[in-house]
Amino acid sequence: MSLAAFAVVAYAGVQSGIFAKDLGIWIAAICTLAMYSILYRENVVFRLFEHIFIGLATGYGIYVVITQVLWPKWWTPLVEQGKWYWVFALLMGTMFYTVYSKRLSWMNRLAVGIFMGMSAGLGVVGFITELVPQLSYSFKPLWTSTRPYIEVNNVVFFVTLIAVMSYFFFSFEQRNPVVKGSARLGRWLLMVAFGAIFGNTVMGRMSLLIDRLEFLLRQWLQVFGRQ
Amino acid sequence: MTQTTRQFWVRRIVWAVLIAITGVFVIVKVNATMYVSRPALDFYRAVEAVPKDKIIVISCEWEAGTRGENGPQTEALIRHCFEQDKRFAIFGWTYPPGPTFGQQIAERLAPRYHKRYGRDWVNWGYKAGGAIFIRAWAKNIPGKIGRDIYGTPITRLPAMQGICTIRDVGLIASITPSASVPVWIRYIYGFYRTKIVYACTGVMAPEAFPYYDAHQVAGVLKGLTGAAEYETLLRYRGDAMRRMPAQSAAHAAIILLIVIGNVIYIYSRRRPGAGSPPGR
Repeated sequence: MSLAAFAVVAYAGVQSGIFAKDLGIWIAAICTLAMYSILYRENVVFRLFEHIFIGLATGYGIYVVITQVLWPKWWTPLVEQGKWYWVFALLMGTMFYTVYSKRLSWMNRLAVGIFMGMSAGLGVVGFITELVPQLSYSFKPLWTSTRPYIEVNNVVFFVTLIAVMSYFFFSFEQRNPVVKGSARLGRWLLMVAFGAIFGNTVMGRMSLLIDRLEFLLRQWLQVFGRQ
Repeated sequence: MTQTTRQFWVRRIVWAVLIAITGVFVIVKVNATMYVSRPALDFYRAVEAVPKDKIIVISCEWEAGTRGENGPQTEALIRHCFEQDKRFAIFGWTYPPGPTFGQQIAERLAPRYHKRYGRDWVNWGYKAGGAIFIRAWAKNIPGKIGRDIYGTPITRLPAMQGICTIRDVGLIASITPSASVPVWIRYIYGFYRTKIVYACTGVMAPEAFPYYDAHQVAGVLKGLTGAAEYETLLRYRGDAMRRMPAQSAAHAAIILLIVIGNVIYIYSRRRPGAGSPPGR
């Protein structure tokens, strides 16, 4: 009954130019409204569209793996270009599945070990090229006498760095009043940082809501003017 | 009315108020004025500084979920490249739909600037392989990319003339909601010192600034605000600038609701005979 009423309203809206005529816009609008229906309460429509999205994402993921990875990177070199050694990739991949057999599970450990070693190697490179420059840039001049605003920034940075690091001294009891005070300040500064992160998160989420509202009000419901 | 029912309705009223306020500012046109922050200005300057013989890699590592933030950022960057006659390549290695979204934006803007696919820009599409792919890609770009999204070998495209290795890339713009920029920093900036700029979502912004502070990224665009700042620098009022009043109104509404909520909370605690407040 409600579906029929929706269809009547939609037809009348399209005919009178209130709603968009494009089928793609209609599908996107219905999907958006169905997902936002959770804001009222858990319902069948939300569940249905949630499952559609999960199914679509899974199917798309499989399609991408086949068309972008397996076919051009493995099957074509192996079969069409005669690069026989690509068969070892299949062997390596199969070794992951030996975890289900007690007798053959040592093969799984071998494959996992190789990948762990590779990740660790990449991790070491990452530490050197990503974190070491950040460590060196944390040594900032506190007195330059040319640009006072930079000095203030640097002092704030220095105090925050020391205070927050002292908060993370968990290996021993913080009895010294200086360390204790610094750790307490570090805790407060961490709270300020968490507040800033949360504020940014709210800002990001509101941007996504605005995008959808703009789509619904301007593209779908054309009474407010098309973009 | 029971406590649970009251909570149920209060939450829905709060959401309805927020949506209504935001919706009003989406419909009503209000002119916003943006202050351009230093990270956004540096982003803009990094694009301007790319020489003509080098290409800009626009790494579209986003999908529909963050279109509201990354969409206007990508649009502003592509607009800037078109205005300044900078060659660019759209690319993605985190989210498969990213390059498709980038292509849609470029195709929409291209007629206005008389730009043509293949000559002024190229789309390498999505490439799987993560960090290992990026390492190999830096040494042999045509070999690792192979063909563009239309199946054309990229060496045949005029936009790719003279582009062989990472040394021919003038700038990498990573537009992403995910933590993929460390891969660029570790394996590209760390080894080759190729400039990287980072357009992130609001959620990721606090994590972006240590990279900016250590000069590992040359500039940062922070969510929709960053896109609006970029549009201000381009002297153009696009999606981001149009949405900023709604964003500001929503923030003001949230602050007001937090204040009201806390006043009610304090009042309910001070009331004689009041037990523990809800949620405790």
